[in-house]
Parts: sequence; C-alpha cells; structure tokens
Amino acid sequence: MSQKHDVWGWMLAVDFFFAGMGGGMLVIVGLLDLFVGEGRTSLLGNVLGPVFIGIGSSLLILELGRPFQALRVFVNPKAILTAGAWFMSFAITFGLVYATFGLDMFFWSSWVFARKVLAALCFITGLVVATYPGILLGRHKGRPFWHGPGIMILFLLSSLVTGFAAHSLAGFVFPPSTLTDVLGMFPKFTAGLLAFQLLLWFGYIWVKKSGGTTSESIATQRWINGDLSSSFQYGFLLFGTLAPLVLSLSSSPSLQAVGAALVLLGGALMRMLVVRGGEDRTWFPGEQKYRSRLPKGNEAFLKAWNK
Amino acid sequence: MARYAMVMDTRRCVGCHSCTVACRVHNELPLDMIYNPVVTVGPTGVFPNVRMTNLPLICMHCDNSPCVDACPTGASQQRPDGIVFVEEKKCISCKACVMACPYGARVPNHEKGTIQKCNFCMDRVDEGKLPHCVKTCHQKARIFGDMDDPTSEVYKLVNNGYPVRLLGELNTEPYVFYIVDSEVKL
Repeated sequence: MSQKHDVWGWMLAVDFFFAGMGGGMLVIVGLLDLFVGEGRTSLLGNVLGPVFIGIGSSLLILELGRPFQALRVFVNPKAILTAGAWFMSFAITFGLVYATFGLDMFFWSSWVFARKVLAALCFITGLVVATYPGILLGRHKGRPFWHGPGIMILFLLSSLVTGFAAHSLAGFVFPPSTLTDVLGMFPKFTAGLLAFQLLLWFGYIWVKKSGGTTSESIATQRWINGDLSSSFQYGFLLFGTLAPLVLSLSSSPSLQAVGAALVLLGGALMRMLVVRGGEDRTWFPGEQKYRSRLPKGNEAFLKAWNK
Repeated sequence: MARYAMVMDTRRCVGCHSCTVACRVHNELPLDMIYNPVVTVGPTGVFPNVRMTNLPLICMHCDNSPCVDACPTGASQQRPDGIVFVEEKKCISCKACVMACPYGARVPNHEKGTIQKCNFCMDRVDEGKLPHCVKTCHQKARIFGDMDDPTSEVYKLVNNGYPVRLLGELNTEPYVFYIVDSEVKL
C-alpha cells in the first residue's frame, strides 16, 4: 500500500540539500574570485554549483501536486517560497554564466570586470539560496522543532560545509588548471566548520529540549531517544560530522576525499531528519489519537464500492 | 463590512460527529479528507469526577493567517469578511500552507492535486444561510455570525469574556472561539 504524504516529503529534503550545497559552492566561488583571485576552484566545481541548484529545483517541482503548473510559484512576492524560487533561478543563471569564464572558447572569458560583477552576484544569490530553506522552516510557528532563527544558522552552516566538501571532491576529480593553493586548504576549512556544526547542533537540541515550550521539548525528544535518534546520533553526528572532521584533518588526499563524501551524506541526512522532525505540529489534546485512526494511504475500504 | 466568526461551545458538544459528516457530504470530500474533525479530550479525573470534552477543530480563519502569507501562487486568499479560502485553479499543492497552518486545517486532495480547506461554506454564507456544520449541530454547540454586528450571538458570546482562542500565543488571531470548562486544559 502506498503512503500518501500530507506534509512535505523526502524530495523537499533532497531539494534543500542540493540547493543548499549549490548555494554554498557559489558563495565560495564568489568570495574567492573577489578577494583571492580567479582559478582557485575547479571548473567542474564552478559548473556543478548551479547544476546542483537546478537539481534541487527539479525535485521541488516533482514534489508538487501539479508539477506542470510549477511556474505559478513565481507569482506571490510576499511568499518566501516565491522569493526562494526567484533567487534559485538567478543563482543558476549567474553561476552558469560565471563558469563560462573558465573556458577560453568564449570570447568574454578575458573580461575581468564582468567576471568580478558575476562573482559578486554569485556570492549574493548563493548566500540567499543557502540560507532561505532555514528561514522558510524557522518561520513556521506551528512546527515546534523548526520555529526560531536557530534552524537558519544550521542550514547556512551545513550549506557552506557541503559547499567546501563538494568543491574539494570536484578538485580531486578535475583539478584547477592554474593554482591549487587555496583548494588544498579546503579540507581544513571543512574541519573547522564541522567542529562548529557539532557544537551548534548540541546547543540547538539542548535549547529546544530545555529552554523552549513544552511542544518544543516533546518534538525534540524524537531526536534524543525517539525514532530519529539513531539516524541523528550515529548517522549525522558520528558518520556525517565527527568522522569527516577527523578525516579532513589527515594529510592523505584519499582520506580527505572520503571525508568530503561523508560530509555530503551527512548533509543530506540532516535535511531528511529536519524535514521529518517538522511533521510534528503543536498537537491539541486528543488530536494525535484521532489522526492515528485515519487512513494513511490507499486502504482498501477507501475504494471498496468503486469495484 | 461583516467579519465572520464561529464559537464552539464544548460544554454542549456530545461528539456525535454530525458536523464532520455534513461537511464531507456537502463538500463531496473523498473519504480520506476531513475539514472539521471532532477530537476527544479525556476522559480525565477519578471516578466519580470523570470528565470528557469534545473539541471540534476547523480552519480558524485567522486575521493574521500564516497560510495566506506562505502561498507562493496566491491561491490562498482572505476575503474582506475574514473568510480564508483556496482558489483551486491557482493551487499547485506545494503544501507550503499545510506546513504553515498551526491548526492542521488544510488537507491535500491527492486526486485533484490541490489543497482544500473549510471556507465556512462561503457559498451558503453569501446567500445568508449558515454553514452546513452549524445547521446540522443539533446541540447548537456551533454558533456562527458576524463579529461586527453587536446584536449577533457570536459578538455577545465572545465579548462576555468566556471564549478562548486556540494557540493564541502564536498571534494568528483566529476567529474561531472556544467555550471550555475551566478544568479543561487546551
């Protein structure tokens, strides 16, 4: 029996992952070009950043009940999803155009000022794309695990970590043609951010458990010893954060690559868990019992008299 | 201009679910969709002082409605009289409103690919009739009317100080009010 999703499902979580990683990659590309110089990242990484955002957008479209009418999401300027859709579109465009500056076949590849402008635009739009899922979730008043600005910081941080890791992996596969000095430091940046991420997650869970409302405390219990706890503690904290932190500090490129791959898996898992953690509303007394009795999918009795 | 509101007198509700059925029939909802569940709180207490309360849930038609703000297509709208509704042809079922609503009042229709919700039976209200759930309630536990009319029953009930708003701390300013016994914790 197939399960019907009455709330956001795994595709949105994967969208958050790809869009966040792509946004983080654009932030890194933009910052390096503006303040260090061109050619510090792999051309493959420069291309993959906007491509990842595109993959995220595609999954968002597939999640819709009417995917062929997806263009309607651009309509309401007051909605944060609309802002996100516009910024993702801009980020994909600016990112792909910026990546063309790495190819000599394009006559504009030597236009330094245009490249700098695009780098700035990549930084701005990438930063918004990396941050907006956290803002989107943090504004949900009725979802106790998400509500508040903390989730925004966690998403931005994870986007940057996965961005560094993805650039590192792209550099292993397709090294920059000129300079590799900065790219070689990416595993160290990743390790620093992972340590910060570990600290922030402990703080977030602790504050939600002890310092928030009763409904926040109940929602957080799932992460401590509930159905999400194993995936969170072993999957995300141990194998998605702590293990890659150690591997990133090693001097072996292959171990660093394994660490970067684990960072990506951890980032995807974290978003899956956060989206699932938002299934919990602030329930009214008796509501969960009532809703637990409702059909979850295509139960036979729903179609019994159509035969 | 009218501002429609509903008062739920939980002291009168016996949990017969007539309102739920009437709503589903009138709105021709699939079996797995419910706009107005009636949940049961309790029983609580120790015999012989045992208490059970039925809590009818519904769209709160909030003045500060997070679902309308969250909708990227403009399908979720609010009329000047306060009724929040979904213009189905614009809805793409992104579920942003489902997630934004703190009351769980929005339901995906998987067959149509849209989100649907209670609209206070606005077609009937526009004709001067009562919503089906109110008309059906034989205990008169649901009272519907215009909050801008000082002679209306809802105005009087709300302004006598008894009714409470669910999740009032979220500042959504719901326009469905509840009369509950003081012993019941919501």
